[in-house]
Amino acid sequence: MVPPEWYLLLSAAIFCIGLFGVLTRRDALYFLMSVELMMNAANINLVAFALYYGDLTGQVFALFVIALAAAEVAIGIGIILVLYRNFGETDVTVPREMRW
Amino acid sequence: MVDAFAYVPAIVLLPFFSFLVALGAGKYLPKGGAFGGIAATAGSFLLSLWVAATVLGGRTYNETIYTWAGGDQFELTFGLLIDPLSALMLVIVTLIALLVHVFSLGYMNDEGETGLPRYYAGLGLFTASMLGFVVADNLLMAFMFFELVGLCSYLLIGFHFRQPGPPSAAKKAFLVTRFGDYFFLVGLVAVFATFGTAQFAGPESFPALAEQALNGSFDAWTPLGLGVEQWFTIVGLLVLGGAVGKSAQFPLHTWLPDAMEGPTPVSALIHAATMVAAGVYLVARMFGFYALTPTTLAIIAFVGGFTALFAATMGVVKEELKQVLAYSTISQYGYMMLALGAGSYVAATFHLLTHAFFKALLFLGAGAVIIAMHHNENMWDMGGLKSKMPVTYWTFLAGSLALAGIFPFSGFWSKDEILYEAFIHGLSDPLLLGGWIMGLLAVPVTAFYTFRMVFLTFHGEPRSETARDPHAVRWNVKGPLTVLGSLAVVAGFVNMVPVQKLLGIEGIDFLTQWLDNDFGGIDGVSYSHYNDLLATYAGYEAGEIAGSAETTLIVAAGLSLGLAVLGVLVAWKLYDVPEPTEHTAKLGGAKDVLYNNYYQDEVQVWLAYRTEDVAGGADTFDQGIIDGVVNGISSVSLAVGDRVRRIQTGVVSQYAAMLTLGLVVLILVLGVTGGWFL
Amino acid sequence: MILEALIAFTFASALVVLLAPNEWAGRLAFALSLVPFVGSLYLWSQFEAGGNALTGGTIAFETRIEWLEVGGRSVSWFVGLDGISLPLVVLTTFLVPLAIVSAWTPIDTRQSQFYGLMLFMQANLIGVFTALDFFLWFVFWEAVLVPMYFLIGIWGGPRRKYAAIKFFVYTNAASLVMFIGFMALVFGLGDSVSSFALPEITQAIAAGELGSWFGIAPGTLAMIAFLAMFFGFAVKVPVVPVHTWLPDAHVEAPTPVSVMLAGVLLKMGTYALLRFNFTMLPEQASALAVPIAVIAVISVIYGAMLALAQQDLKRIVAYSSVSSMGYVILGLVVFTEYGVGGATFQMVAHGLISGLMFMAVGVVYNATHTRMVGDMAGMADRMPVAVGILVAGAFAYMGLPLMAGFAGEFFIFVGAFGADAALPYAPVFTALAMFGIVIVAGYLLSAMQKTLFGPFRLETDYEVGRAPVHDVAPLAVLLAAIIVLGVAPDLFFEMIRDAVGPVVEGVTVDG
Repeated sequence: MVPPEWYLLLSAAIFCIGLFGVLTRRDALYFLMSVELMMNAANINLVAFALYYGDLTGQVFALFVIALAAAEVAIGIGIILVLYRNFGETDVTVPREMRW
Repeated sequence: MVDAFAYVPAIVLLPFFSFLVALGAGKYLPKGGAFGGIAATAGSFLLSLWVAATVLGGRTYNETIYTWAGGDQFELTFGLLIDPLSALMLVIVTLIALLVHVFSLGYMNDEGETGLPRYYAGLGLFTASMLGFVVADNLLMAFMFFELVGLCSYLLIGFHFRQPGPPSAAKKAFLVTRFGDYFFLVGLVAVFATFGTAQFAGPESFPALAEQALNGSFDAWTPLGLGVEQWFTIVGLLVLGGAVGKSAQFPLHTWLPDAMEGPTPVSALIHAATMVAAGVYLVARMFGFYALTPTTLAIIAFVGGFTALFAATMGVVKEELKQVLAYSTISQYGYMMLALGAGSYVAATFHLLTHAFFKALLFLGAGAVIIAMHHNENMWDMGGLKSKMPVTYWTFLAGSLALAGIFPFSGFWSKDEILYEAFIHGLSDPLLLGGWIMGLLAVPVTAFYTFRMVFLTFHGEPRSETARDPHAVRWNVKGPLTVLGSLAVVAGFVNMVPVQKLLGIEGIDFLTQWLDNDFGGIDGVSYSHYNDLLATYAGYEAGEIAGSAETTLIVAAGLSLGLAVLGVLVAWKLYDVPEPTEHTAKLGGAKDVLYNNYYQDEVQVWLAYRTEDVAGGADTFDQGIIDGVVNGISSVSLAVGDRVRRIQTGVVSQYAAMLTLGLVVLILVLGVTGGWFL
Repeated sequence: MILEALIAFTFASALVVLLAPNEWAGRLAFALSLVPFVGSLYLWSQFEAGGNALTGGTIAFETRIEWLEVGGRSVSWFVGLDGISLPLVVLTTFLVPLAIVSAWTPIDTRQSQFYGLMLFMQANLIGVFTALDFFLWFVFWEAVLVPMYFLIGIWGGPRRKYAAIKFFVYTNAASLVMFIGFMALVFGLGDSVSSFALPEITQAIAAGELGSWFGIAPGTLAMIAFLAMFFGFAVKVPVVPVHTWLPDAHVEAPTPVSVMLAGVLLKMGTYALLRFNFTMLPEQASALAVPIAVIAVISVIYGAMLALAQQDLKRIVAYSSVSSMGYVILGLVVFTEYGVGGATFQMVAHGLISGLMFMAVGVVYNATHTRMVGDMAGMADRMPVAVGILVAGAFAYMGLPLMAGFAGEFFIFVGAFGADAALPYAPVFTALAMFGIVIVAGYLLSAMQKTLFGPFRLETDYEVGRAPVHDVAPLAVLLAAIIVLGVAPDLFFEMIRDAVGPVVEGVTVDG
């Protein structure tokens, strides 16, 4: 059996890639994709620990997260579409009206 | 049998009802409610006579009639104390009030004043308050009515409120007496704290308890580790503060001359029977307490003597009739205080009685002159009124002789007794002797300014148009003058102690017997009891010169009479001429000082302004510092908020960065504290 | 059920008035507000004194219904009266109709909202004085601020927003501190109490159930709680130095709102001080007697000096309220029957007198449209009746005997002077505080002399006539009440004494 550290390393790597994407990308689509990466990193953790402990709860949880991610993509793409309509581009740094 | 004492509340309430009637319905009544006031005070007067007759028959009354506030800690009650002293005072007050009401018909109604209902309402309330004060059986009730008297003086002095002067004078009168009353209130509260009661008379009264405390049979509360005697002296002085304020003693006398802004009948009432008399009456009422504290007595005597002389000197240079009378009032009440300080309760009461008559007379006489002079009060515009208003002249002259203390007018007897008592007791006490010397020096000054006033007003040639053709006065002016004129002549005969001592005629010292409970009274409230207290606790003893009481008596009486006659003669020499001139220039630099009342008012005004400066400073401090801190906190919050909100840029990436940063910091903190990295 | 009916009726009438047309909202509100007044008179007539509600005495008109549970402690609808709260309920229901009548002239916009808010505030005020459960009480306590905020903020003077926000934030922040203090007590008591009912908490503390919490010793915990609650209530009273919201609020508030603010809202602070600090934690109060007395004396003298410096009639009365509340604090701290009872009596007396003064100043303002001392003179010439009552009210404020103010002040003084067992140097403190009666006479008399007397002068072009009857009538009613209470203080003082007795006895004075 693959030791859990390997899964953890994998998920940490994917999470960092996602985080890097969130922090550096300005395009909303990349942004969304990076968020998906971070979620999937969490999913890997959940599944790995479920396997390790022999408890299905983690896997069930991962299913929930996938459902959540689907919903999020739906809303996220909607937001990006609105962004594009209003600003003509999908750069997240352009709309700054939502502050104080 | 109908009991006179059952009607004592009516004595107080009748003028109070006249107040209500005049206030509520005065404008629909003839004469603005005057008749209601006259009827009420007449009723009170008759009832007072009845009460006095009952006291003469040997009965007294000392009962609580109403519990104002009960409780375990204190019982605060109203009650009636009718003994020889208060019965006498009731008669004086109601009589003067009645005459003043009648006189007001001439002074106010006939002169076409407006606001008469307010005037008669004020008079009614004034009389009622004073009567309530007189019959009070405890210090709290006395204080309450004492304050109401102050309110009434405010209302009446400020009667002509549309002019600038009277409201200012009214404010000053209330404020200065309030300052005195502050000390009275502290003293009153101290009496409650010390004795648990403020009753004047009876075995459970505070003078009785104070006596027991001094001989050790009562454990009195004292604050701050003070001894009983020291504490009683302080309490006595505190209560005295009220008396000094109301009786216009130095240094709280400055309100009284200003109070001349009020209508003249009001001045008569204030000076003769109500407000100013209240202070002296208060000290007399609780004399059983003062007799225990020699220091207080000596201070009372000294302040009294000083005031007598001090006020008399200012009276010398005044140009307005009522101003002279105002200073004479201050001076005469100084004599009464001197008498009380000298331990002579009877002499003080005696002078209170005679002074009430002759001073009311003089004020009403002055009022008659003022009517005649079309409200010009300057004596230098008068002259020669003697032939034009004979009734006023002769009664005024009787009052002046009494004021100057000329034998055998009433003032002579009382003033002589005061000076005699101060002298014999003063031989062993320097403070008291000082009071006596000042009192004696005031005698010629008093006689001088009194007759200066008489001569300038009535003698010589008229010095103005109005004096040549004065306004006539009616019965309602002459009637009260005649009554008071007669009393000013004969009132002294109720207490001819010197004659009794010299000639041995028994029974002509009626007032002494009256106040000594010879006709009946309350134990512990009598002249001889006070004398015992004075001898035991204050160490008062009567001195003699040349080893003979008779010689002492003759010397003291001769001295004061001689000085009085001297004063009259000087005034006669200087002012009883057809064309009198001001001789004030001879006084040199002293003239300005006297004209300006020793700059007393300036000092008080200066104090008032400094207080306002302090208040202004406090306001600046409050607005600047205290509220500044409050506003500062809000400004700082706003400013910080303004800075902090700039973090919120609206750029999603930066939010995400901050989220991450926060997470990292959190992990680091948890890690360091949780020891993960070790 | 009478108290619930009273509160519910007042809330309902607030709603009805809110929906009524502006034209007759004022008259409707007045008519409706008479009902609680009559109700409170009925309560008064049925009331039998039975000690202090918090220390185990009989709670009159008690209702207790379990409501919800918070942190293992039950919160209940728990209302009732004793000799301390009944006079204040009567004061509230008495002042509100008069304040409403006094609003008829000055309030000329959005009347239905104004009167609705007034009644809403009244309902909450009754709640504050009757609630015996902390949560219930706190809800009412905070809910009073809301209508007050709008009443000042909408109908106020030129700086109304500043004043309203200052009032709200200041008192609300103070409430927060107080809340924390009280919670410390509750947690300190731990499992020994199962509810937020004030009587239970009071009695548990008295029984020594206060334990330590988070390692803080019981004594320290009680002291922290005392200080936090004292601060919270002191702002409300207000005492120096946390008083500065008061003059601003008063100056900006319209007349009837000032009447309620000075007449009732300030008494919430002193009432709560008595109920919480001095009844629940008497030992801490005794330990802090000297500093509290110093604050009281400073409030009296400093407040009076500030009043002396003011030129705005309303500011004068506002600062003199600070001064008068100082007496109340002094009365509370000495723990004698007359001191604490007098303080409670003074709450009622000052409520009536300051209400009268604000109303009277308002009547003058209605006629002159200015409140500055220098702008007018000789008003007595134009409006004799109103000025006559104003003068009477001013004398009541100065403590003229046979008026309610003297009774309250005298009770406090006579109770405090000899109380050197509970308060060291009590005579000195009392004598110093008493000097306030001279200063108050000074500023009121000189302000009256300048504005009311002398030759008539008004530096505006308005015609000044007599005040309308409905302006003057409430003044006369208030004056009558002041005189009645001054002549017969035992009407209230008897039940107050009965209720403060246990508070006073609760203090064991050593030495």
